Amino acid sequence: MQRTSWKSKATSSLFVLPYLLLFTVFLIAPIVYGVWISMHDWDLLNPVNEFVGLKNYLNIFDSDSYLHNLFFEGLKNTFLFVLFSVPLLVAVGLGLALLLNALPKKLTGFFRTAYFIPYSVSVSIVAIIWLWIFDTNSGLINQYFQKAGLSAIPWLTDIPWAWVSIIIATLWWTIGFNMVIFTNALNEVSEELYEAGSLDGANRWQTFIHITLPTIKPTMLFVTLTSTIASFNIYGQPYLMTRGGPGTSTQVLLMNIVEEGFNQRQLGNAAAMSILMALIMIIISLVQFRLTREKKEAMK
Amino acid sequence: MRKKGFTIALVTIAIIISIFFIAPLFWMLATSFKTDQEAFTSGIKWIPEIFTLENYTFSLSGGSDTPVFTWMSNSLIVGIAGTLIVLIVDTLAAYGLARLDVPFKKLLFAMFIGSLTIPWVITFLPLYMGFNQLGLLDTYAVLILPYSANAFGVFLLYQSFRAFPKELEEAAHLDGANKWQVFIKIALPSARPIIWTLAIFTFMSIYNDFLWPLLTTSSPEMRTITTGIAIMQQGSFVSSPGRLMALTAIATIPVILIFILGQRSFIKGVTQTGIK
Repeated sequence: MQRTSWKSKATSSLFVLPYLLLFTVFLIAPIVYGVWISMHDWDLLNPVNEFVGLKNYLNIFDSDSYLHNLFFEGLKNTFLFVLFSVPLLVAVGLGLALLLNALPKKLTGFFRTAYFIPYSVSVSIVAIIWLWIFDTNSGLINQYFQKAGLSAIPWLTDIPWAWVSIIIATLWWTIGFNMVIFTNALNEVSEELYEAGSLDGANRWQTFIHITLPTIKPTMLFVTLTSTIASFNIYGQPYLMTRGGPGTSTQVLLMNIVEEGFNQRQLGNAAAMSILMALIMIIISLVQFRLTREKKEAMK
Repeated sequence: MRKKGFTIALVTIAIIISIFFIAPLFWMLATSFKTDQEAFTSGIKWIPEIFTLENYTFSLSGGSDTPVFTWMSNSLIVGIAGTLIVLIVDTLAAYGLARLDVPFKKLLFAMFIGSLTIPWVITFLPLYMGFNQLGLLDTYAVLILPYSANAFGVFLLYQSFRAFPKELEEAAHLDGANKWQVFIKIALPSARPIIWTLAIFTFMSIYNDFLWPLLTTSSPEMRTITTGIAIMQQGSFVSSPGRLMALTAIATIPVILIFILGQRSFIKGVTQTGIK
């Protein structure tokens, strides 16, 4: 019964138009504008922005340029964080979900809320709370260490402790979200599969490896992908907790982009850096996606 | 009996883990009621020895550099306005794509969904430049509008509208209702749970956002609570953990309450996103 006169099409288009407009203005246009900026020597204080083609990109890959260090040092630190945080975010999230699932039904709701609450606060609150816990002199942890006769750890001012602190705070803040996604996935694993498993005499571990894990594989992929992207975008935790220190060892890529764009006012460079960062993120997502797909095919 | 022992062990583990999640929040509350002298002296006191409200009265009295209520209301205004825009344009677009004869429907849908893979880092600098050139930095516009282009809601609602049986809508069409009427009276109510979920997701992500409001606001009275607190932490509250924690508690309690109340639809929403 769909009428396809131009009049009908016109009214239908009105439904999509507002979003399309916002989409064009606040997503497509900025992307195009960003590419344009990245091809200019764009200094905020200089009224003339000279077109330089791909020079900003080439500078990033030229080991003599300061941009090279700024980009790759930052990228290295971001990678470090991704490398350590993502496996923990996935494994601990799954672990907590398994724990919730095994608890008596009456208690599940309470503990789920308890583990999920920190997810509701913002990064500045996460930072303030954990700074006060990790403080070298009056922090909670070092006070307990002192009581136990252990020497204080410089949680925020020494490597690797600065990363350890940032990762603990991040886990505390975001793990609840992954846990909830895993809990939902675990509830979808059919009882029949488990029953078949127990008839075959499988123990808990075997059931987990052979029944649970394969069934929740798509969820694992999803959580790994979203956690990787979120970890790549890390900014607030090191910005507020360690200020990138000690030295520049927790100075992540996004901090360097903001520094180059907003403090040094070199927008052309900063735009080129953010486009490269985005490309790296897209490539990594695609690779992760492919890898899991291929494994799945191979298993069939 | 082995099973009972196992359950007790599990509950014990669950309680120990919950300490990790709850204790930091409790420590924040405890510190907010302490005098700074007590906060700094060593010794772990989970309950303040001298219970004081001075930190709260000071933080709430809001000198010119700490207008807490302005920050809170800015965050609420930005969060609510942003969420409303997202809900309106996303429901319309999703319904159009799911049900109506929109030209180039497939292309548009592919474009919107494809945009979900574009990292946000690519747009923030040019967006900042654009708002700067229009003289719109440090206004509500810059704090609200950039959140409106996210395709996540369109995707979520599209699935919900597609799953809804067509017959009801067709019957209403036959009764002479036009597209708008069908949308408002039949489609929207059918998607109510998913709209709630989207509302909570969107509100929380705008309310808690950090880098964008930090970059685009500069005057104290345009700050959101998230950025305001961060600035106090590095500014005049740096040597007063009591005041800082009181400020943090004030900012945290409303969100936690909303979150606990809205938790159910939030969790349900995570399932409904098709993430399985």
